[in-house]
Amino acid sequence: MIDEITEYAVYVAFLVACAIPLSAYINKVMAGEKHLLSCIVAPVERFACRIMGIDASEQMNWKTYLATALIFSIISFVALMAILMLQGVLPFNPEGLAGLSWDLAFNTTASFVTNTNWQSYSGESALSYFSQAIGLTVQNFVTPAVGMAVLFALFRGLVAQNSEGLGSFWTDVVRALLGVLLPLSLVLAVVDVWQGSPQNVDEYQTTQLVEPVGLTADGDIVDADDPEAVSVVDEMAVPMGPQASQVAIKQLGTNGGGYNGVNSASPLENPTPLTNLLQCVSLLLIPVALVFSFGRFVNDRRQGRAIFFSMFAVFLVALFTVGYFELAGTPQLAQNGAVYMGQEGQSGGNMEGKEVRFGVTDSALWATFTTAASNGSVNSMHDSYTPIGGMVPMILMQLGEIIFGGIGCGLYSMIGFVILTVFIAGLMVGRTPEYLGKKIGPKEMRMAVVLAICTPVVILVGAAALCLDPATQASLNNGGPHGFSEVLYVATSAGGNNGSAFAGMNCNTPFINTVLGLEMLANRFVPMAAALCLAGSLASRQKVAASAGTLSTSNGMFVFLLILIVVLVAALSMFPALALGPIAEQLQMVL
Amino acid sequence: MKSMAHWAKGLALFAAATLVCGVAYTAAVTVVAQVAFPYQANGSFVEGSDGNRYSMLIGQSYADDDHMWGRVQNYNAETFVDEDGSVRLWAGPSNISPASEDFEASVAERVAAVRAAHPEHASDPVPSDLVTCSGSGLDPHISPAAAEYQVERLAAHTGKSEGEIRAIIDECTERPQFGILGDEAVNVLKVNLMLDGVL
Repeated sequence: MIDEITEYAVYVAFLVACAIPLSAYINKVMAGEKHLLSCIVAPVERFACRIMGIDASEQMNWKTYLATALIFSIISFVALMAILMLQGVLPFNPEGLAGLSWDLAFNTTASFVTNTNWQSYSGESALSYFSQAIGLTVQNFVTPAVGMAVLFALFRGLVAQNSEGLGSFWTDVVRALLGVLLPLSLVLAVVDVWQGSPQNVDEYQTTQLVEPVGLTADGDIVDADDPEAVSVVDEMAVPMGPQASQVAIKQLGTNGGGYNGVNSASPLENPTPLTNLLQCVSLLLIPVALVFSFGRFVNDRRQGRAIFFSMFAVFLVALFTVGYFELAGTPQLAQNGAVYMGQEGQSGGNMEGKEVRFGVTDSALWATFTTAASNGSVNSMHDSYTPIGGMVPMILMQLGEIIFGGIGCGLYSMIGFVILTVFIAGLMVGRTPEYLGKKIGPKEMRMAVVLAICTPVVILVGAAALCLDPATQASLNNGGPHGFSEVLYVATSAGGNNGSAFAGMNCNTPFINTVLGLEMLANRFVPMAAALCLAGSLASRQKVAASAGTLSTSNGMFVFLLILIVVLVAALSMFPALALGPIAEQLQMVL
Repeated sequence: MKSMAHWAKGLALFAAATLVCGVAYTAAVTVVAQVAFPYQANGSFVEGSDGNRYSMLIGQSYADDDHMWGRVQNYNAETFVDEDGSVRLWAGPSNISPASEDFEASVAERVAAVRAAHPEHASDPVPSDLVTCSGSGLDPHISPAAAEYQVERLAAHTGKSEGEIRAIIDECTERPQFGILGDEAVNVLKVNLMLDGVL
């Protein structure tokens, strides 16, 4: 157990130690101030803005800010869908892969434009290098930049008085891309290659089999000397391509869409424990830094710390729960002692769907990190987790992706919960609800509620739609409550803009692709509109001086109340569904 | 009029992002990778003395008595079929619930098979990674416990002494990086190539 805790501590300490300085850096970048990389980035930024006709000092009101964000997303959507459907005739396609069907292209486009990166396909066998590097990688960069831009618009709204201006969407996106996402990705990509990730534009290679196998006339795999074998296969494919570059930004941008179908479980995509540490920390790095950025921006770091501790408390509980249940394994694996589950000379625990180089510890860490952030990349197969070990990641997504969450969207949704908490706490003690000196009126409350319940509503409507179609059952890999967990997990993953999978379910059908695509679009753009409307409304208000009647939003009591409200909203909306899936399975297993 | 300007800026930004983040970034990483780390950037291939190329990152399935066994592997012959019908194998995870009856039955079968091949360990429990599928389906490693479990069988079938087998395993063991990151892992492909005298 000591080894596990040491490793947890290394990951978490490294994460926080990197996030705090990064938060100061991000604020400088987004404000256009001088920073560490100014001498390289600033001339590029000025040149780019000049040719694009962007005015850095432009102040947009919330409607213009939202309109420009939507326009940019629509352009991205059309371009990406065209690339995916036309990849058969586009260059950099050495494997000669055909264009995607309309429904798979729609689903994939909705997924990458909304920073979800849900994948109904396996990258190595479905997408060309052009689609991966020019189509998907570009979205992996711009969607977190859009999230960051909207978040900073909300920050400005919280601070401004009697004003309409929330900054310029175009400038914010350019700064986030050039100042934050590109430099970090370059570093991570090079380390990934150093450790073993492929990075080339060659065709797929083959590796020789030490023990060739035979194929029967029906295509079944048998021993090479089996009498039914009609041919012998002595090679295995090794997917190539620009893997490391795409993997770096899919981690840093809370995207999560793997180059390979098995994502960062693949030894090509995540070859060593060091890449595992860096990729895992990367996926939470910017979301955590943004929480501290918030405190710095509103000039009261305690506000950022209060939100950090609320998120961190839930995060730690989740981490230890997953770690405990995965290490315990299941009686079905233990076979009354015939299988050694201990930790002498091996990782031990539930190794089904996990890699030896990571073991249970690094797998549980990743599962918690990736569902806390709305990243969704995996380094082990969540479908093969123990019932409770698999339920915790699902709950983290169902909380609304606010335990750090996606870049930008996680924190702006959390601010919705903060305002909800201020209001409820204010009601309990009979105080006027105010946050950071701004009175909370009916309009702010409406937007806060939209931010708080959008995710659960989208998830439950999506899951219900999937269950209504009898054909869904044919897509499942497991029966009984675990089958329902598979449906609930995909609806949750799409509805929470996470994108991780209980990969046993075959989701590449027109109906499932469409339902999930609509879920992802709804949960990206409805909260975004609510956050910007909230920003606009707050910006126009005057600050009021704090009085004896003002409820502190940075003390331990507030942290407790915030966690309570977050858990309450999720529990009330999700408990019935969880009872039918993972909870039923756990009871079945132990009884 | 105003909204036309927004669309124009949107298109310009999208085009610029595609050039910088899609083309230039990918090209820059590729150039650095090919210059600084050509072995890793091209798939970590090693050429054996038999003239064949082996990617050290891709795990395979081994069942012969003179080879070390690795993780349970689900080969498939459908993913990579060339136009002329020639097949390259691929593998993936099981995605089965470890709390299910199907899983219980397959583990029981695997345990029986492993024990039958290792009579000297008939009463010892089987290390868990030897009877489970990996996350990628391509896991090239096995735990030191699972490697040690097979030493006597390998010695009996390869003509090497147990000491020689253990020396090979030791040479193929990757230690935790910086002393703390990850678990000890034995590269099974490397062990088997050394047992075969190919490496």
